Parts: sequence; C-alpha cells; structure tokens
Amino acid sequence: MTGTSLRTYLITRLALVVPMVFILLTLVFLLMRVAPGNPIEASLGGHVPQAAIRQIERRLGFDKPLYDQYGDYLWNILRGNLGRTITDNRPLSQIIEQNGAATLELTFFAMLVAIVVGVVIGLLAGRHRDTWLDVGGRLFGVFVYATPVFFLGLMAQLVFGVWLGWLPISDQASPITQALLQTHTNIFFIDAIWDRNWAALWDIVQHLILPATTLGLVTAGVFIRLIRVNVIRTLRDDYIEAARARGIVERRVVFHHAFKNALVPVITIVGLNMATLLGGAVLTEETFNWPGIGHELYLYLQDRDYTAVQGIIIVFALVVVAVSLLVDFINAFVDPRIRY
Amino acid sequence: MGKRRRLLLAGVAVAAVTAAASLAASAYGGSKAGSNIIVDGTTGTVVNLDPANQYDYDSFTVDLTMFQGLYGFPNGAKLAPVLATGCSHSKNLKTWTCQLRHNVKFANGDPMTSADVKYSFDRVQKIKGDQGIWTLLTYLKTTTTSGPYTVVFHLTAPDSVWPYILSTNAGYVVDHKTFPANKIVPNTDVKDLIGTGPYQLTKFTPGQQAVLTPNKYYWGPKPKNGGVIINYYSKSSTMKLDLEKGNIDMAFQTFTPTEISAMQKESGLVVHSAPGVVIRYLVFNVKRPPFNSLAVRKAIAYLFPRQDIASRVYHNTVTPLYSMVPKGLPGAIEPYKTLYGAKPSVAKAKAVLKAAGVKTPMSIQLWWTPTHYGDASSDEYIEIQRALDASHLFKVSLKSAEWAQYSGALGKTYGAFQLGWFPDYPDADDYTVSFYQTNSFYNNGYSNKTMDGLIAKERAARTTKSRIKYLEKMQTLAAKTLPTIPYWQGNMIAVGRSDVKGIDSTLDATYYMRFWLISKS
Repeated sequence: MTGTSLRTYLITRLALVVPMVFILLTLVFLLMRVAPGNPIEASLGGHVPQAAIRQIERRLGFDKPLYDQYGDYLWNILRGNLGRTITDNRPLSQIIEQNGAATLELTFFAMLVAIVVGVVIGLLAGRHRDTWLDVGGRLFGVFVYATPVFFLGLMAQLVFGVWLGWLPISDQASPITQALLQTHTNIFFIDAIWDRNWAALWDIVQHLILPATTLGLVTAGVFIRLIRVNVIRTLRDDYIEAARARGIVERRVVFHHAFKNALVPVITIVGLNMATLLGGAVLTEETFNWPGIGHELYLYLQDRDYTAVQGIIIVFALVVVAVSLLVDFINAFVDPRIRY
Repeated sequence: MGKRRRLLLAGVAVAAVTAAASLAASAYGGSKAGSNIIVDGTTGTVVNLDPANQYDYDSFTVDLTMFQGLYGFPNGAKLAPVLATGCSHSKNLKTWTCQLRHNVKFANGDPMTSADVKYSFDRVQKIKGDQGIWTLLTYLKTTTTSGPYTVVFHLTAPDSVWPYILSTNAGYVVDHKTFPANKIVPNTDVKDLIGTGPYQLTKFTPGQQAVLTPNKYYWGPKPKNGGVIINYYSKSSTMKLDLEKGNIDMAFQTFTPTEISAMQKESGLVVHSAPGVVIRYLVFNVKRPPFNSLAVRKAIAYLFPRQDIASRVYHNTVTPLYSMVPKGLPGAIEPYKTLYGAKPSVAKAKAVLKAAGVKTPMSIQLWWTPTHYGDASSDEYIEIQRALDASHLFKVSLKSAEWAQYSGALGKTYGAFQLGWFPDYPDADDYTVSFYQTNSFYNNGYSNKTMDGLIAKERAARTTKSRIKYLEKMQTLAAKTLPTIPYWQGNMIAVGRSDVKGIDSTLDATYYMRFWLISKS
C-alpha cells in the first residue's frame, strides 16, 4: 500500500511537470517577441542597410506569422534541439555545458556557505535564545537577507579586494591559470584536481571565496531564521524535557536530539531556495565577472537573442523543477502524510 | 561554557583568520601575469571570429591578429599592400588585378595562393552571414584567378575605394582547407580559424578569454611578445581594479571618462591617447516635423555645445568635430565650423528662426540610447538639452530607448536621434557615402540629387586628388543641407601598466590595436 501511494505520488508529480514547463515555454516565447526589437536589428541596426537587415530577418524566419514561429520553436524543443544562438552562432548545449558548469561551481559552494553559516548561527541563536548571541545572529540573518546581493558583492570587493588586497575581485581564475588549465569537466575546481595542478587549484579557490560567500550569505539569512525557530520549538518538546529529566547532559540533548530534528525542514528549504540561488547567481555573476549562465542570459537579453534566452530559461526552469521534485520525493519518502 | 574556554576559542579564531589572510595575500600577490605574455582587458564582446560573418569591432580586434587581407594598414594610417604586392585597375575602375606576395603560409603551414583568395571572397558572398559583412562586397560581381599569384576582381560599378574594401574583414584571406564553403566556423573551433596573421588562436572561451600565440609560419616581423591573452569583462570598474592590481597588463575598450581621469593620476599606470576615428553625431529625419525645416536644423547647428560636451562630459578624451569626416583623414575639412562657428551663437540661431517665421520656444524631442554608446550618453544629451533650453529658442524633451529597440526604430520613428560611427575602413568615403546617399541605413529621408551625383563621381574618380575634391564638396553640401550634425571625434585610448611598451606605436587613425608591437620590460 505504502509503495503504491508513493509510486502514485511520484507519477502524478512528474506528470504535473509537463504542463508547468509548457506554460513557461509559451510565456518566454511571447515575452521575447512582445519586447520591441529583434536580434538582427540589435546587431546590425545603425550600420547595415535596411534592405540587408530585412533579408536576414526573412532568412531566419522572423517575418513568419507568430504561430508559425511558435510551432517551429515547440517542435525543436520536443526534438531536444535547443538550437544555436542567433548573435554568435553558439550551440545552446555548449552554453549549458561551459557556462552552466561555472554557475554550478558557484552555486554549489554558495550553498555550502549558506548551509554552514546558516546552521551554525541558527543553532547558536536558537540554543542561546534572548542572549547577545541570539540577537546578533538574528540581526545578521536579516541584514544579509535584506541586502541586495550585488551591493554585498561590491562591498566585499571593496573591503577584501581593494582595501585589504587579500582576494581577487573577478573571474573564475587569473588569466594565465585560465589560459593554461586543461578542460575536462568545465568546472575549474574539479579540472585543477584532475590535473593535480595545485597552484591552479589555489588560484581558483581564492577566486571562489568572494562570489560564493556573497551569494551564500544571502541564502544563509533564510536558513538562520528557520533553524533558529526550529531549534527553539524542538527544545520545548516533551521528549527533550524527558531527556533532561533523565539527567542527559545538555550538550547531548541539544546536538544529539534537538538539532537533528530541527534540521529536517532545512532539506525542503534548500530545494525551495534553489530558485533564489539561481536568481542571485545572475547578479553575482555580473558583479564578479563570473562567466556563468546567468551572465550569458543578461548579455543575450540585451541582444534580444530569442534562441539563447529561451534556451537558458528552459534550463533554469528544468533545474528548479528537478530540484523541487527531488525535495518533494524525499519529503514524501520521509513523511507518508505527504502523498496523494 | 567556561570563560577561559571562550577566550581560548576566540584566540584560535583570530589566529586562524590572520593566518588565512596572510596566506591569501602572499599567494594572491604572486598570481600576476606571466613575463612575456601580454594580458589585455576589454569590456567588448566577441560575436563571430569567422571573417565571413564578423562585423563588429571587438571580433575585429581579435581577427586583426589572425587574418590579413590583400591590403591593410601595417604601419599607421596609410593604406598599403599586405598579402598583395600591388593592384592595378582598368580605366573604368571596374576591374582590379592584384599580384600576391609569394611564400606566404597560413598558421598551419599551408601555402597561400590565389585559390585561397578567390575562395575567401566567394565564401563571403555565398554565405551572406547574419552580421552583414557581405554588404561591403555589394559591387563585387566575380573573383577570378590567373595563375597561383594573380587575382582579378570584376565589379558591377566603378569603385575607387576598392583597395580599402580589400583591407576590411570582408577581404580577409582564409585557408580553403579549413573553412567550409557554405558554413560559418564556430568561435571555439580554433583549429579551423586559420589565417596568415602574426598570431594563431589557440584557445577561445566565449565571454572569458581569447588566447593567442605567435604564428610560427608568419612571413612578417615576429611579434614583440610571446603571446596575448584577451580577458573579457562585463564592467569597466572591475577591469580597472584588475589593471590597478596588476592582474592584467593593459586595457583597451572601454573605460568611462571618469575612470580615465582617475587613472591619469595614478602611479604605475600610463594612459595612452591619440586622435581616433570614432565619431558621434545627431541625425535629423528631414521629412518629419519640425526637423523638416532647414531653419530649425540650422538653429540647432548654431547652438550645438561641442566644447561643453568634450570637456564636461568626456573630460577632453574627445575633440569637437565639425564634419562627419574626422580630422586626420585625407580630405577632412571643417564646414560646420565655417558655416556655424566654433562656438554656439544664440543670436545667429534666433535670426535664422525669425527669418523663417518659426515660433519660439519650439518643443522638440531628442532621442538617445543608454545601452550602446556608453554611460556618458545621458550626460551628453543633458548637455545638449541644457544648451538648447538656455537659448530660450527650444524646449527639449529627451527620450531614450534600449539599443535593441532603438536600432530598429531610428528614422522610421524618431525625428532627431543619436548615433555613433566606427568606420569599415579609415577613409573619408566611409564617412560620407553611407550617410548621404539616398536611402541611407538610418532612414532619415535625406535625398539630394547633387549629393548622389557627387558620390558617383567620387567613386569613379581615378586619382586621389579628384577624389578628395569630391569628398570636400560632399562635406560642404552636407553642412549646408544638414541631414546630420557631427559633434565629437573620440580619441583612441589604451591604459597600460608602466612596464608595458609599444602601445603608443599602435594608436592612430586606423583604431587598430596591433598587439604584436607591444612588449613588457
């Protein structure tokens, strides 16, 4: 019975993904075409004769009726053909591979920072409620959550990069490291380990610190508040009182009993914050000149490159959907009440 | 937790942070650019590196290091044969015969012959790339060869500037064995992007880096460095910080005027500057009221605040411009200065409007774009608004649109609008014909039979002297009929660290960044 209801839940959730993605694809298609300008005008306007521009537009099908363009677009997506960008003729798969890897590297380490900072401060704040630790932790959480990520990034660059000169302020690695690094996975951190290039690895780690910490801190703000509340609530539970009554040491009560239970909702929040993290990644990448997929999206948006923008947004959407699905599955597995 | 324990933990934390900072500082301080490799920063964006589809300055900057044409600008702003030893033309300027340089090899060792030249031109015309570079070959009917070192170009109309066209990227010679005849080579296919230039592209990561190493088969003088890395930035402020910290050796394109002013005062950095060929101008739709009135256009020309724009907005990194043809190019004159004065004159503007019976103050709209010509554009147009409003003859409202929308609208929608121009080739022809011919690219409705006649004569002129005569007449007529008002000519600016040499030798009217002339001491 349990297995059947879980299977039903999984199938139903998977089936719901299809209309969700379809609606998103349609919205993106329409929004790109409603915005004035097209990629050919953006590239060639102000320089090339109008007749030539019209000729190129016709060749690319921009003169076709909207429903025709929409049909072509959907048919290509169904065949898994995300196409090539219009402005620089890059395969979308290459953008996802190269720039997606850079974003993955950034968001992975940002999430690590978020979890470590969020958990440590949340735990301390919850354990030492209404003390300076609690007040400081909550203020810190609110501050990092409310501060725009690009402002936090700029301040980090100013303090640690310019005034103190401790850390680099831009890029994934220094120019020479980037030029010489062999590409295996497009994730610089892994590629450097792969080649046992420790000097390159150290250079890459230094370049990661500021952007990953900036992005991670913004997400940590959410974790701090959540974990604090959960720790306080858990510490008031009957079984904690019972543990204390049995004479168990306070440290063991907190870490072995309360803390583990307080962390369970964090799994859900990690998944839900994936969308926030990706959105924050766009601004972080712009601030730190990080060559991620968000940075590319910003550039292609300016050029009205329909193919590129549509493809990248689809990838973003699928990542968020996949992570949300995974979180739902884990929750359904852990908690049988969350099933159809 | 005991007090001693808390103090101990705090002490450990402080020690750890200090140690980490020291380690970070020492290691980071060591990761500077390699000894003989020039690391250049730019805020540009490469679109296409295949010459058959390359028509933007940032892609051109890279291609310039890898490819060459039959003609070019190897030493300053004077056009000279490069892959050709010379070209002759028929009397009617419709047939051009070029002799090729012998013993030239591509970067993969393949010999360059007339077959490669023909292939390159045929390819551009066949592919008709989306970036539009093929429009430069509009007059080319066919390309034929006569032996391995002779190429003949057959044109549909006389074209006195054909050698200039050969110097553009439309005329870059590619290896017929590596470039497909009907497809664009992707930017990351570095093994196929083979030319005869001083460098070979060994790695290209879109949006991040172009890595260039010296071409071991290069027929000309060896580069003065061991290679070039071009690092791409999305913001000039980040590029400036990296330059100050020594993570890059130099930066070219594009700092804001404020950043340039700040760097001029910094030790360790040298701001190199020379007159360039980028211009900025205001276009009028001469069919759309109120700019269909010549009196209105003349009044604006009398009031135009060129000096204020140059000094207040651009901190003198640009110079006032009084013709669409920038100073320094053969044939450049200053008819706008002659007709409308070097400085604004409210009295003359008032007189011309009064004589035409125009009621003042007249409300006008000026359009500009914030996303194509740099952050200073808004200040530029505020300055123009200020000057026109202060005359009490006009009431200016400024309108702006993002480039993607703006570039499609231009003369179709706007009455007066901002544009800039970077030339296809540094010759006065490229600053006149494109703007003054009937049905120009910006749809401003300008059509003048006298001008069209001058253009045809200039294109058919068989001597430089007669060409220049027609170019001067075109400039004068344009100043009188005012389809545009040119207002500044930008300097070519590059900033280098103090140990970087040779930047000045490449700053000239071509706007070419010849990385092969740059070295580090």
